[in-house]
Amino acid sequence: MISLTSPVRTRAHDWPAGGKLLALCIASIALFKFSTPLAQLSAISITLVLYALGGRTFLSVGAKRLWVLWPFVVVVGVWHLVTGEIAEGAVILMRMVTSVALANFVTMTTRLTDMMDVLRWLMTPLRLFRIDTSAIEISIAMVIRLVPTLILKGRQIVDAWRARSKSRTNWRVVLPLAIMAIDDADHMAAALKARGGLVARSGRK
Amino acid sequence: MILEKNVTLIALFAALIAVLGLVPQIMLGFGVPITAQSLGVMLCGTVLGAKRGGLAVLLFVVLVAIGLPLLSGGRGGLGVFSAPSAGFVIGFPVAAFVTGLITEKVRTGNLAIVAGSAAIVGGVVVLYAFGIVGFSIIADKTLGEATVVMGAFIPGDIIKAIIAGALTAALYKARPASVLSRA
Amino acid sequence: MPQSELIEISIRDMGFAVEGRDILAGISFTTSARRIGVVGRNGSGKSTLARLLAGLLTPTKGKVRLGGIDPDADRAKAIETVGVLFQNPDHQIIFPTVIEELAFGLTQLGTAKNKAIEMAQALLSDFGKSHWEEAATHTLSQGQKHLLCLMSVLLMKPKLIILDEPFAGLDLPTKLQLGRYLSKFEGQLLHISHDPLDIAGYDEVIWIDGGALKVHGPAEETLAVYLDAMTEQGASDDIADLSR
Repeated sequence: MISLTSPVRTRAHDWPAGGKLLALCIASIALFKFSTPLAQLSAISITLVLYALGGRTFLSVGAKRLWVLWPFVVVVGVWHLVTGEIAEGAVILMRMVTSVALANFVTMTTRLTDMMDVLRWLMTPLRLFRIDTSAIEISIAMVIRLVPTLILKGRQIVDAWRARSKSRTNWRVVLPLAIMAIDDADHMAAALKARGGLVARSGRK
Repeated sequence: MILEKNVTLIALFAALIAVLGLVPQIMLGFGVPITAQSLGVMLCGTVLGAKRGGLAVLLFVVLVAIGLPLLSGGRGGLGVFSAPSAGFVIGFPVAAFVTGLITEKVRTGNLAIVAGSAAIVGGVVVLYAFGIVGFSIIADKTLGEATVVMGAFIPGDIIKAIIAGALTAALYKARPASVLSRA
Repeated sequence: MPQSELIEISIRDMGFAVEGRDILAGISFTTSARRIGVVGRNGSGKSTLARLLAGLLTPTKGKVRLGGIDPDADRAKAIETVGVLFQNPDHQIIFPTVIEELAFGLTQLGTAKNKAIEMAQALLSDFGKSHWEEAATHTLSQGQKHLLCLMSVLLMKPKLIILDEPFAGLDLPTKLQLGRYLSKFEGQLLHISHDPLDIAGYDEVIWIDGGALKVHGPAEETLAVYLDAMTEQGASDDIADLSR
């Protein structure tokens, strides 16, 4: 399954993931602290430059990922036009677009493996309490492997519906899909066990 | 094989939440194009119970955070947690946990009704609490105003919760051993 | 056996591509035969052809017509004309009880619920399976599930049934029993298989190879040519190719 990391390489791809995440946290807090229109305008401009430095494709993919926010922009925009609080509305919208764009920027410039390294580091306290975090990492790999297969099965059930009906599917197609998920879980568990199982390591090497 | 069964069920239900959001033709019916993804969150609770259901949804949210396009429409990544619906995503695991807790603890009565009610409490009341707070912070509105905006989606989600109840009962008939909330 | 009205299956210069890659290209054939086989290796595009004929996919190029209708554009007419049996009944059965699964297609065709149930009960009785009515679909064996899918399709009285490797993984007695039920169908069958034994005795055979139509001819001769080619490929080692 393809992640949201941009295949177009930028310099930001090489910056350490932990550093980018920390910067994102600081930026997000700053965005809420400095809520004047000027501050927000500067922030959104800097963000735009950041994206532009990644090249045309990078910028256009980034813009496309912001498009999902349009209903919110409409609702808040209309709300503030009606109440007459134009400046406040502009600040809210700019702040939201900037914070989402910056977060997306980190996602687009950080590989999955680097994110998982950060996750592993964040889970260190759990390991201090003897909780086995390797099961968590295996589960992540499992889900990534399972989603495309389950999507295929979902499409097949939808096809089976469409082959006998001209109307859109309804909730009843979820049942066979859930049953398939349960059966697949059983088979995978048996296969895992046959290969040595997920031994709870708790301290053992 | 209990550990393996638990882990694979959790992984598969996490994948199921994704699939319910990613296969566009999986609709819930009733004329309204309600997306099925949060139905997956409810089912994690009603079928797997509080702990495992909560873990399955937490796994899903972690996967979205690290950059996988698993939210309906192929959305994902850290931007999701700054968006107006961030409260909902953060509330997903809690919703599943509460839903699972009620399904596990309330043993009297028809499973469809118990599971459906659990899904309303967890998947609607608790989830919307998180969602409304999130929206009020990001949109800088009072909780009352945020409720007015988000409230439009509540009827659809109540229907979803009722469907979750029906599905849970049907799953219990078909695969009783895997409905861990009633194990 | 009364001959029901045969429809013409017509494909003209049809292509189907996914993300720029051609799965099928330049497919053209016309047939009104009663029993049509489609053979080819796995990955040759046969299943995609089945879905295109059933109107479940939109061709990227060209035309598909069944008895004059476009099965993709006219879904209402399509479900009256063509029925599909997929490879895996677990991916096909939607409802938890036999009677619900049978009645579904009929209600989607506009039949009232109680009439649909009556008709389903009548069919079960014809097949000597009246005791299946309230059975849970998940408790049926693989062969029984295949039969349930066949019955569901038959109830909709299609003119053509497309079968996509319907016997995969079944034991021989089950295959023979299902084959017997199929042979009684008065309409047309388009049976996709990689195993020539499944379609011995058919009227025409179409051989799809690498997304293209290689041969379309009388069953016996086409199967002989196909079998020779398959045996020859069996002597090679193309299993090593990662692109397969």
